[in-house]
Amino acid sequence: MIELRNVSFSYPDTGEKILDNLSVIIPPGSFVAVVGDNGAGKSTFCKLLNGIIPNFLDGDLQGEIRIWDQAISEKTPAELAHTIGYVYQDFENQLIRPRVLDDASYGLLNEGEERYEEITMEILRTLDLAHVSDEYVWQLSGGQKHLLALAGVLVMSPKIIVLDEPIAQLDPTHARKIYDNLAFLNQKLGKTIVVIEHNSEYISRYCDQVLFMKNRQIEWLLPVKEAFQQVLQLIEGGVYPPQITLLGHGLSEKGYDSSGDLPISIDEGIGYINRRFDMSRSRQIPSDLKRNQAKGKSIVEMKEVSLSYKKIDQGAYSALNNLNLTLHAGERIALIGNNGAGKSSMLKMLIGLLKPDSGQIVLDGQNTKKMKMERISDKVGYVYQNPENMFIEDSIEKDIAFSLKARGIKNYKNITEQLLQQFNLMDIRQRDGRLLSGGQMRRASLAIGVSLNPKVLLLDEPTASLDMATRKRITHTLKEVADTVETIVIATHDMQLVAEWANRVIVLHDGQVIGDGSREEIFADEKLLQRAGIVAPEIVQLSQRLNGRICYSIQEFLDYLEKEAVLFV
Amino acid sequence: MFNQSFLERMNISTIRNQVLKNSYGNSDTLIAKMDPRTMFIWYFVFGIVPWFVSDTLMLMGLFIFVAAVTKIAKTVPLILFIFVVGIFSQTGFLFMFTLLFGGSLSAVMPLLKLTLKIAVVSLAAIVAFAGMDPDKLSNGLMAIGLPEKFSFSVSYAYRILPILMEEYQSILLSYKIRGVRPDSDGFKGKWRNLIYQIKIMIKAFYPLMLNMAKRSRTTVEALEIKGFQRALKNKKIRDMKMKKLSIQMQDILFLTCSLLYFGMCLAVPQLLY
Repeated sequence: MIELRNVSFSYPDTGEKILDNLSVIIPPGSFVAVVGDNGAGKSTFCKLLNGIIPNFLDGDLQGEIRIWDQAISEKTPAELAHTIGYVYQDFENQLIRPRVLDDASYGLLNEGEERYEEITMEILRTLDLAHVSDEYVWQLSGGQKHLLALAGVLVMSPKIIVLDEPIAQLDPTHARKIYDNLAFLNQKLGKTIVVIEHNSEYISRYCDQVLFMKNRQIEWLLPVKEAFQQVLQLIEGGVYPPQITLLGHGLSEKGYDSSGDLPISIDEGIGYINRRFDMSRSRQIPSDLKRNQAKGKSIVEMKEVSLSYKKIDQGAYSALNNLNLTLHAGERIALIGNNGAGKSSMLKMLIGLLKPDSGQIVLDGQNTKKMKMERISDKVGYVYQNPENMFIEDSIEKDIAFSLKARGIKNYKNITEQLLQQFNLMDIRQRDGRLLSGGQMRRASLAIGVSLNPKVLLLDEPTASLDMATRKRITHTLKEVADTVETIVIATHDMQLVAEWANRVIVLHDGQVIGDGSREEIFADEKLLQRAGIVAPEIVQLSQRLNGRICYSIQEFLDYLEKEAVLFV
Repeated sequence: MFNQSFLERMNISTIRNQVLKNSYGNSDTLIAKMDPRTMFIWYFVFGIVPWFVSDTLMLMGLFIFVAAVTKIAKTVPLILFIFVVGIFSQTGFLFMFTLLFGGSLSAVMPLLKLTLKIAVVSLAAIVAFAGMDPDKLSNGLMAIGLPEKFSFSVSYAYRILPILMEEYQSILLSYKIRGVRPDSDGFKGKWRNLIYQIKIMIKAFYPLMLNMAKRSRTTVEALEIKGFQRALKNKKIRDMKMKKLSIQMQDILFLTCSLLYFGMCLAVPQLLY
């Protein structure tokens, strides 16, 4: 049991309250999702629990925190590691030893536990890491690294495990695996799990309680079903309930539902709709399966392109395999596929950072093999997956001006000014990009990406690890950007973004294109989705299961129900 | 053309691969299998004693041996390249200065001797330290009584090396995408290009340091949680960490052979003269 009584925390120098009068009781064995917008104090709250605050971050801590009836104020983080484990959002930095077994067992070894290797191997076997126990940490995949961080926590056999955004960078297949593991720990081993999570679909599927934070305070702790009924309150706090719930909320606002019992999963949603609408009598509109035929001129052509990496042990790893693709003007392309399918490699190849082993790429009529990097980047803008890598100057204003200045563009000041305004960055123009919030960082990196007014814009995971409210704003910004750039390619796992934004979807799998078409064609093809490890957004699944006609946004489905569906009287 | 293709090949990712391969990828060589303490003793003999030797023939003998061991240790080309550049620029400059200040060709022999000396001790260091698994190295340092904070920082440095280089590489790529390289036509262009590259490599340190500082916050907290500080005070844990080291038959054989050869190098010149 975790119990907080009137806990406040503030930094000593400014006196600014980072956490404001928190009181909550989390029962043992629960699976809690902590929600709230970026800056609501979620991470700070979690760091209270394992003693990093106040042992490590100096400040004024008031109130009482008790875990399993023990006041934790006198305990050090190392002592608390037996009670509570913490997996960071940037978990890679949590791995401190070069080899897997050494890293996972490090906490135990420092305890003086004689059987540290045995115990650790047991944990590694549970998490399916035993076969890599002798490998070096940096040879692991992202998912394995996350498991290793979890293993390093589990060896101390804590009763509580806290995870900060465990699936932010993962495709649905890997994300499910992580959550299945957590569910196992929760149900079979009785661990209390606390996750900071933005994805409400996972919350409704896996968690049993929601702790809602807003403005550095705890608003409430409620069972999941009840929590998601508070739609307006959540949205105001930057949290979006599952699409199914929002659909129900939309219907109740229009007066179709006064029960106050909104569905939170697809199955519930189907029952919910079928009770209110007679879908069998509703007018069936055949799905529009044809792709928009009016193609613009071709901007990028990839002809039989293959690409491979050299690995440290000198073996080659094939990232892209005999790729043939043409990207046209006016296309908003979503590049989807599981982790390691070759999405990032393709983007890096298009900007010229990686050279294809064979085949050719024609950019705006020119073979890129003969083009200098600078000439490519005049035409192609690129925004890194990790926006921090975009910042090479000490203010975002200088960062945006950098490419313009380097190319000797005379009115670079005006253009920079314009971009700052367009991306709503005027107030923070002097700040260092690295120190901005997640949403600000994304906006700044987008501004840098389009500064040279490119024909093609490549974005790698533009909405990863953003809260839903910020995600919506970025999606909106991307729609605006599409007006000035001829072709945009986004590599993403965010299927809501794909559904709401893209007009062409390309599915990569093992370095090959296994699907290419409109949203309709891709999301209707279940076999394809399964093979690529993709899960369509809930609203798409729901509309498909109800009447076969796919809707891509909540609004679209609401409109359909209003216009075409027959209401039970 | 040498300039261009050479620069292109010497990018950060090559350097990263080579450095990592050298310290991690060679674990199956005879040298990598040695106990770190064996290599410390070996280094003491071949890395320090040659400073006090002035016989060319003997230095020659030592050089051949150390070079052979370097070959066995499969040291990567990059490190050998740096070694060669280092040696010859050093003594090459000395030779030029000697001529400049009125020396004569008679300076060649002593300089050659000096070069040989430096070559032997540098190669010995490369074999002993660069080729050793960082973890072994760090345990070995602990075993010979150095403070644990020091030995930990050695192994941690290797842990973050890949991250550091990846980060550095991506920052350099940012410069590459967004900046403009000067034309590399003609000698002047090549020179300007080189200066530009160096300038960017230096400039990239600013964002690198900030990004790493941001990352290290998590690392420091994780160290605290995993009880690193507390364990430093505990003698029992130190012994546990050292348990993995053991001197085996191959260590003794390797040391004996090395010492015998060393003795031979010492004796043969005596007999000849």
